Amino acid sequence: MKKFKRRGTVISSHLSEYEVSLLTNLVDQLIGMVAEDQQLPDPDVDPFEALARDLEQKSDPPEDPVLRRLFPDAYPADPEASADFRRFTQRELSEKKVTEALAVRAGLEQTQGGAYEVKIPVAEADVWLRTLTSLRLAVAVRLGISDADSADELADLPDDDPRAFMTSIYDWLGFAEETLISAL
Amino acid sequence: MGDMPESDTSVTPVGGTAVVERPIENELVQTPWVTIVWDDPVNLMSYVTHVFRTYFGYPKAKANKLMLQVHLEGKAIVSSGTREEMERDVKAMHEYGLWATLDTTEG
Repeated sequence: MKKFKRRGTVISSHLSEYEVSLLTNLVDQLIGMVAEDQQLPDPDVDPFEALARDLEQKSDPPEDPVLRRLFPDAYPADPEASADFRRFTQRELSEKKVTEALAVRAGLEQTQGGAYEVKIPVAEADVWLRTLTSLRLAVAVRLGISDADSADELADLPDDDPRAFMTSIYDWLGFAEETLISAL
Repeated sequence: MGDMPESDTSVTPVGGTAVVERPIENELVQTPWVTIVWDDPVNLMSYVTHVFRTYFGYPKAKANKLMLQVHLEGKAIVSSGTREEMERDVKAMHEYGLWATLDTTEG
């Protein structure tokens, strides 16, 4: 992809068909993971059942390490306060992440497989930034990036290392995010 | 934080106008809860600065300074207030993918 560039109130860049497809796939995975964990309403589900689910808000930290990083404890020394905080906020946070990821997905679809530039109104830049951040966090967890050293280690991977492909995705997401911020 | 080649992080004073800023520590007596943002190996320095400017409305210099504190010292206090206000700020930081917690200032 080229760097994002701003012209007036629109920030745009040309993504290849492959990049559009890749990013769409990553966004879909994020939506799937977050929505499933929260059992967000599915239009086909019985509304009474959906309401019953609403009443059982989660309060335990998620088991999946990606979700644990996306929804960290607010009170690390107080599990009860953390549980209360989680019960009140995780659902809204999840819904927001899914809504924003869907907006990114729609923006990608409009490029028609990279035939057109991806166009982001300046007012929606944060929607893309937050979604790109969620994606980077998810990929980082999968790559085992837990500190600066483990991040640095990925810089010199041999091409046949199983992590090489995901690392290139991680770098690419970083480039997209960095140039989007610069374009603001 | 991730080091990508980067935008302007220099701190330039606004010419002519003295800006008096009360350090956050002075506010703690009346407002005993704080929001702490922790360093993480993923988030870009430019992004963290952007979040501090956008969400808190901090001027560029202050946002940059807090970001550097997070990056170099491992964490920074980014706001203070009532417990409810800090929960709101922590929630917002989580929306942006930053790692934040809240705490009292009393030991």
